[in-house]
Amino acid sequence: MRRVAVVMLWSLLWGVSLAAAQERQEAAASNANGSPTTLADPVAPVAAASAAQTPDQPSWIVERRACEGCPPRSVGRALFQTTVVNVMYGLANLVRGQVTARVTPKTWWDNMEQGWVWDLDDFTVNQVGHPYQGNNYFNTGRANGLSFYESAAVAAFGSATWEYFGETNHASLNDFINTTLGGIALGEMFHRSAWLLRDTRASGKGRLWREIGATVVDPITGANRFLRGDASRITDKPAEMVPSNLALAGALGVLWRGTQGNTFSATGQPFLEVDGIYGNPETGHSRTPYDAFAARLRFGGGSALSEARVRGRLLGQPLSENVEFSVVQSYDFQKNDAYATGSQSFDATFGFTHNLSSRSRMWVLGWGGLTVLGAIDSLPLGLTEIPEEEEEESGDAGQGVSEGPRFYDYGPGSDFGVTALFSRNNRPFAVFFYEGRHLYSLDGVRANHFLQRGRIDLILPLRGALGLGVTGEYFDRRTFYQDADRTRVNYHYPQVRTYFTWRVS
Amino acid sequence: MSLSIGAWVRGLCLTLAPVLAVAQAAPQAPSSQPAGGPSKLWLVAGGAFATLRGDCQTCEEDYPYRHAAAVLGDIGYRVNPRMDVGAEVYWMPIDTAQGNIRTTHLDAVAQFRPWASHGFFLKGGAGMAFVRNWVDVLGSDSFNEKALSVIVGAGWVVRPTARLGLQVFGTQHALAMGDLQASEGQIQDVIGNRWSLGAAVVIR
Repeated sequence: MRRVAVVMLWSLLWGVSLAAAQERQEAAASNANGSPTTLADPVAPVAAASAAQTPDQPSWIVERRACEGCPPRSVGRALFQTTVVNVMYGLANLVRGQVTARVTPKTWWDNMEQGWVWDLDDFTVNQVGHPYQGNNYFNTGRANGLSFYESAAVAAFGSATWEYFGETNHASLNDFINTTLGGIALGEMFHRSAWLLRDTRASGKGRLWREIGATVVDPITGANRFLRGDASRITDKPAEMVPSNLALAGALGVLWRGTQGNTFSATGQPFLEVDGIYGNPETGHSRTPYDAFAARLRFGGGSALSEARVRGRLLGQPLSENVEFSVVQSYDFQKNDAYATGSQSFDATFGFTHNLSSRSRMWVLGWGGLTVLGAIDSLPLGLTEIPEEEEEESGDAGQGVSEGPRFYDYGPGSDFGVTALFSRNNRPFAVFFYEGRHLYSLDGVRANHFLQRGRIDLILPLRGALGLGVTGEYFDRRTFYQDADRTRVNYHYPQVRTYFTWRVS
Repeated sequence: MSLSIGAWVRGLCLTLAPVLAVAQAAPQAPSSQPAGGPSKLWLVAGGAFATLRGDCQTCEEDYPYRHAAAVLGDIGYRVNPRMDVGAEVYWMPIDTAQGNIRTTHLDAVAQFRPWASHGFFLKGGAGMAFVRNWVDVLGSDSFNEKALSVIVGAGWVVRPTARLGLQVFGTQHALAMGDLQASEGQIQDVIGNRWSLGAAVVIR
């Protein structure tokens, strides 16, 4: 076994080093790039231009950029920066005192010998922290001129190397999936959002502050731009980073959540919800991933970050004048004082648009797909609440890292749903939403979980961009335990919100 | 069904010899490099030597590594000269003291070459695995389980842009099963890891 693993490791390292060493030759030979986010190979035009390079050609072609404002392409630099990201996270963990950061060649070997396991870490660390870390890996690819799909491979590379070599605890399968898939979803969303902030035609302090703001949103791309001098170059934005449409809505208000007995808590919880729609998800022939996406973040309402949701279009195909087929990738996270869920999924969607009048329209979207990995809080049979954690004098692995027990389950599953949005003068006034999700628990309590969530938003325009909204929401969860008695448990949490909303588009 | 390493190496050499010969002879053969270049089809067929270890995180027992041969096949689509996507079937039977376990992985996979002019590739994917598990002392029927399957790997493909090529690879499969029936009862939270070294013919 040891011999097999050594051969595998050696092959991997040899392959990477050989290919990296030869990259310079390849660049001269076939200078690959494009802003290759489409499925078709984007390399050819730039490669051909580069091969036929003349002194009159613009410098950006020589620099292996797909366009004047695009980053220069370098696979080797992307992989190197991914490793730097891993080292930075490792050092940060060391400084924070995590024992899992004390890696040695022996821990690397132990991890390779063991293979993948499920880990026992905190829910938010696994469902938000790891996807955020994956977004950094992904954006080492995007910041160095790689396409969406190439950057996805970089995210997987960064995630796998972190799991095996970045921590002493065994490589975690759930972390690998969440870091890679969540990293892709968050990464492209942050990458495109950061480009919204940049004004590459501007100069001076205004430009600098915009670049700094973009760096906060997408630190890897921002740092690369400052290091390369791109942060002060006057160019056009890359065309693919300019959305066809943009809408942003904020909601600030109070939320009341009910409990199992349908009684609403007397104390309202303040929340801030931000919804963004990038591009036009309703229509269009698209082969550019995330040229349209929707993102939602909710702060407060039962947890510091109580909801994060990204849904990005991977491809879109009109089927008729008002029917659109799309394939989308979804990242979901919900955590409050009543329940916690998270998932990485891929869905097929059918959208239907219909003009109700000259000023009013309706958009209905239905979807169904596979959940690669979902997480849901759960309790073993016989427990009604999570027992208080006993403080251990030793063996504490550090912040966010737990040695168990873990009170949530992991498993694959499926999901489906429908939403209907009614708008007048391009401003939504009513939104209906329903989603069902099935999770088959592979790790944790042995059970099937079926989650349903319904939501109705009604928004009354007040003045200008301001509106007043009320939302009713119902979360229902049925857990089918696989015990001898086939015990079935139902939980449901109604929820009401009222808020002021502000929308720009 | 389990093979010794020596037997497996002999088998691999016998299998690969004609493939390597074809792959080396192919550049001279006009039919292997038609004017139109490779098609959009991506086909892979090959074999591997694999080491499998099933483990239970909550068990005290230290489970053994088991070795066996495996076969695999891919069918898919050449997205661009650097990337192929498709479906992979990977089948591996293995003998244990309790009986025979046959595992079939059915994964969606993507194979990506970071450098267009070189053969090094990374591979990743996910899907399902179907496990047929015979526990001889409990009866003649098999216990069938479904599992989450995840694959990562890397390798080198010879003649990556030609119609006919050859690839060598190392992959790791994770097989998250949940439960596994054993003679002493049901083992919970079982996760299997499989390391494979193999070679395959690639047709584009």
